[in-house]
Amino acid sequence: MKYRIREAGKVTIIDLSGKLMGGYDADVFRDLVHELIEKGMKKIIVNLAGIKWINSTGVGILITGYTTLRKNRGDLRLLNVSKKIESMLYVTKLNLIFECFDDEQEAVASYTR
Amino acid sequence: MAEETFVLEFPSSYKWLNMIDLMCTEITAGMDFSKDALNEISISVIEACTNALEHGNRCCPDCDVKAVFRRRPDRLVVEVTDCGEGFDFKDYLKHIPDPSDIHKKRGRGIFIMKAMMDSLDYVKVEKGGMKVILEKMTDGGGEEDDD
Repeated sequence: MKYRIREAGKVTIIDLSGKLMGGYDADVFRDLVHELIEKGMKKIIVNLAGIKWINSTGVGILITGYTTLRKNRGDLRLLNVSKKIESMLYVTKLNLIFECFDDEQEAVASYTR
Repeated sequence: MAEETFVLEFPSSYKWLNMIDLMCTEITAGMDFSKDALNEISISVIEACTNALEHGNRCCPDCDVKAVFRRRPDRLVVEVTDCGEGFDFKDYLKHIPDPSDIHKKRGRGIFIMKAMMDSLDYVKVEKGGMKVILEKMTDGGGEEDDD
């Protein structure tokens, strides 16, 4: 898994690419979220456009990021969720937890409404 | 079409899971599966292999995961075997964790496979290890009784 950080106003976008499947990815993402929280960047959008596939461990990594941010009065929302990821979220009812967007502007705007 | 069998053995490392995804794509080509069904197969087989390498083989580099793909006219059968001690699947099903519980980082794999495949079963292997058997009926199949 690789990532790139960019900002859209007060919102931070994490562009992920590759595969999100556990192991080392968990440590990288966890450390990244903590680093962003320490910098006061708590309005997070995870862009999954570059993620080829994900397994349930990868979903767990996103959940951990989400719960960590929520504990720190922040939030994590998803952008460009593929059909595969969408079906995993739907089957596990995690689609009721994560706010998902297809459009980046809408995702960013969701933090200001 | 008679049954065609494909066997892949790989070391217990996450980096080889991509190969499983490619295998699913190639082996299911030409089979009567919808796009949704193809996604469900890929997701489920990757889950089975992840569980095998993580829980069964504990990511031990000396232990391989064996994936056997059986192409049949009316279904795809995939068997994934690890070298682990195994677990009581029927007992696990009685206490399957709620996958939407955000306090649980893990434990969604079996739930996902059960939801996405037509059949899921675990059997202990005689010489040691655990085998998970997943089946998905083709869109035109499933009308005959199982033998």
